[in-house]
Amino acid sequence: MVVYSFYIFDRHTECIYAKTWLPTSASSADTTTTGALTTTSAPRATSSDDAKLIFGTVFSLRNMVRKLGGDDDAFVSYRTAHYKLHFYETASSLRLVMLTDTATLSMRNVLHQIYINLWVEYVVKNPLSPVEHKGGAGVRNELFELALDQFIRSLM
Amino acid sequence: MTPPPAHCILNFNKTVFALIIINKAGGLIYNRTFHEGGLNKISTNDYLVLAGTFHGVHAITARLNPLSPSTTTSHRTSISSTATAPAGGAASAVGGGGGMLTRPEAPSGLEVLETENFRMQCFTTLTGVKFLLFADTTQTNVDLAMRRVYDLYTDYVMKNPFYQLEMPVRCDMFDRKLGSYIREINNR
Repeated sequence: MVVYSFYIFDRHTECIYAKTWLPTSASSADTTTTGALTTTSAPRATSSDDAKLIFGTVFSLRNMVRKLGGDDDAFVSYRTAHYKLHFYETASSLRLVMLTDTATLSMRNVLHQIYINLWVEYVVKNPLSPVEHKGGAGVRNELFELALDQFIRSLM
Repeated sequence: MTPPPAHCILNFNKTVFALIIINKAGGLIYNRTFHEGGLNKISTNDYLVLAGTFHGVHAITARLNPLSPSTTTSHRTSISSTATAPAGGAASAVGGGGGMLTRPEAPSGLEVLETENFRMQCFTTLTGVKFLLFADTTQTNVDLAMRRVYDLYTDYVMKNPFYQLEMPVRCDMFDRKLGSYIREINNR
């Protein structure tokens, strides 16, 4: 199983956290191979655009699914030939999105685990963290980032 | 309220709910529900909106490939440069030989969408027509059903001399054959 990237969107539809774990070996020789995995916490030039596109996709699909499947239905994941996108929305409309390879099974419980074990523990219970995370404030704390990175790497 | 027949209880979770066909411009050209109760009833207008929305989302999902889409574009330029450099027949030989190794995979949009209540399979033909098959989450062999639906479409819609391309599908034979095929699946 390979995790490509992970995004958190708040209820104001803003991307408050984005992280990518891109395997450089999977792409070809013209990218410089420095190691097995490069973690880019600082987003690439296009990554904010990516986040917007991902949010738009997820939002449209969620509305489509609700229209067809009823209000209690929830969009879980979609798969293309190249990747798979997993989606989890909390009751407070915090949206967690994860992109993995196509062979991965449902990651809904994993996203739920990230929410209850990492988000609630390290962001919500942090007394210094603001209520609204404008521009990712309060999410980029060391404990959350470290624990998330460890958790994702333990899955791979 | 009468209880549903025995076969319905047994196969309640193995059902194809609906089929939608979207033309290459994002217009809805066919829409049919096979099983009441699987999906919400929505108006034809909502179906049209849904088809257009899905068409757009599908294009975006094809672009969101996290495995560096920039490398695929650089490959494309390298292939075209090798193909144009030598003249005549050699060009195709070089391009073909190198192309086997470096040809980028065709972009692919959404193929399967899963929700709590249903699963949607999307098949895009080479000409850009999209077939959306809505089925229960436990339904197996949707690929096969999709293939068969496409066969029926080619046989009874595309070969119909009165069918106009990109226009809504109104072919009796297609309706009948599709209905009997899906009924066969739903009552299996």
